[in-house]
Amino acid sequence: MNEELATGTTAGPGLHPHPAAPSAARTGKRRSAKPFAGSRLLRMAPPLAAFVLFVGGWELVCRLAGIKPYLLPKPSDIVRAASENASNLWVSVYTTITEAVLGFLLSIVLGVAFAIALASSKLVERSVYPYAIVMQTIPIVAVAPIIVIWFGAGINAIVMIAFLIGFFPMLSNTLIGLNSTEHNMKNLFYLYNASPLQTMFRLRIPAALPYVVAGLKISCTLAVIGAIVGEYIAGIGGGKGGLGYAITVSAARLQTAYLFACGLSASLLGIAFYLLVNAFSKWMLSSWHESEMNSSEG
Amino acid sequence: MAATAEAIEWVRMERLSKVYPNGTVAVQDVNLTIREGEFLCFVGPSGCGKSTIFKMITGLSGPTGGTLEVMGTSPKQARKQSDTAFVFQDHTLLPWSSVLDNVSLPLALRGVPRKERKAEAERALELVGLKDYAKAMPRQLSGGMKMRASIARALVSKPKLLLMDEPFGALDEITRQTLQLELLDIWRQDPKMTVLFVTHNVFEAVFLSTRVAVMTPRPGKVAALVDVPVPFPRDESFRTTPEFGRIVRSVSEALKH
Repeated sequence: MNEELATGTTAGPGLHPHPAAPSAARTGKRRSAKPFAGSRLLRMAPPLAAFVLFVGGWELVCRLAGIKPYLLPKPSDIVRAASENASNLWVSVYTTITEAVLGFLLSIVLGVAFAIALASSKLVERSVYPYAIVMQTIPIVAVAPIIVIWFGAGINAIVMIAFLIGFFPMLSNTLIGLNSTEHNMKNLFYLYNASPLQTMFRLRIPAALPYVVAGLKISCTLAVIGAIVGEYIAGIGGGKGGLGYAITVSAARLQTAYLFACGLSASLLGIAFYLLVNAFSKWMLSSWHESEMNSSEG
Repeated sequence: MAATAEAIEWVRMERLSKVYPNGTVAVQDVNLTIREGEFLCFVGPSGCGKSTIFKMITGLSGPTGGTLEVMGTSPKQARKQSDTAFVFQDHTLLPWSSVLDNVSLPLALRGVPRKERKAEAERALELVGLKDYAKAMPRQLSGGMKMRASIARALVSKPKLLLMDEPFGALDEITRQTLQLELLDIWRQDPKMTVLFVTHNVFEAVFLSTRVAVMTPRPGKVAALVDVPVPFPRDESFRTTPEFGRIVRSVSEALKH
């Protein structure tokens, strides 16, 4: 992992700039990433083997001990339940994705916008932020029924719940980021007569990006949780229920295998969301921020 | 050599004082006039008020007594006319912007069109020997090159007054000496450019300047003004001349008061 850093910092001796050096620094990343490609496969092998052993053991124990499928279904039962109800499962997953994405996008837009508004004025921040913190501590499940009363059962209420659960991490992370701009940099902008708007968009927001990304990583998984919790409370069936709704229904009917399939889909959804945000953060920060450099080492 | 008696006064301090709210007297009764084309170094130990004077000249903090004029007006007004530029000990480059974008930042903040900005930034990068690094990111540069980029950013607006606060303080001795020579070259290309340079290094102060303001702490005041009547261009050999040693000694003497 030090290889890339080394090519970066020794790009030139600092005395006589050499024209070849910057291109070497730029390609340094790709060059050092190659040797790791083979070892990455090797590193993947142990967890893969563990996975195969675990699933195989599970299947075997269930078969040998004759455990009833409604208590603990075999992995093969889960796969069969998923494939038999593939179209239903897909509709549920699709619905949950829609709700979670809408809620997540809302929490990004409003979270960042509110943070910028709060960071623009100390007075506003001092008067509003304490309440934002108090609101953050209210358990979302406790207010969910109110949201259902206001927005009616269905996608509106579910999106609201997914939004609310992801909103505060976005708000507080972005706000911390906007307020932690380096003092020297702020002086520089002040001395060059930058307007508050210029300082915000050219300095404070870019400097806050690593914090925004940290907020995204928290909020994206929370949005999936929020959507599923929302479906528990406000989900409507009619062939268009999301994963949360499918989970409540299959639990009530003791369709344990399908319940497992829904639960697994929900976790896969959360992981997929997280990986997407992670990739986005790498793409955005890799050129300059420590947290996303040398990321092949993960 | 550049400063003559009739030259325009760029900075004028009369009984300039700064007392902090907690009662600390940072600067007391400083009288000093800096003329066009001078290279003046403030030298002194930490806590002698040299950075406080620097901050007052930039307008980051106001004096509590006496008068301070920069280019015949208040420090803030002088800054608004954008004839002043700044270099700090920390390079303060934006890590997410390329070297070119960093260097053109002062122009971008002033709303200069992109094309013009780029041309000016390339000129400034050429001056500091970084023109091949325009597209590089700051983290790919060494410490010395980052400081060069930082100096290029100050030069991009063709300032009349260049204010430098311990710019080479964090660099190794070899890089520091190279940059000193380069800075003198850049300064000499523009006979009207005035440089105010804060340092705690006596050798650096004597090597660079036409005049050294020696500062002593508690309370911060100018203990002596030492002329360095050595013609330019100065090169490495100047550092080993008897005259250099003599001036360094007199500055060191003044520091002991």
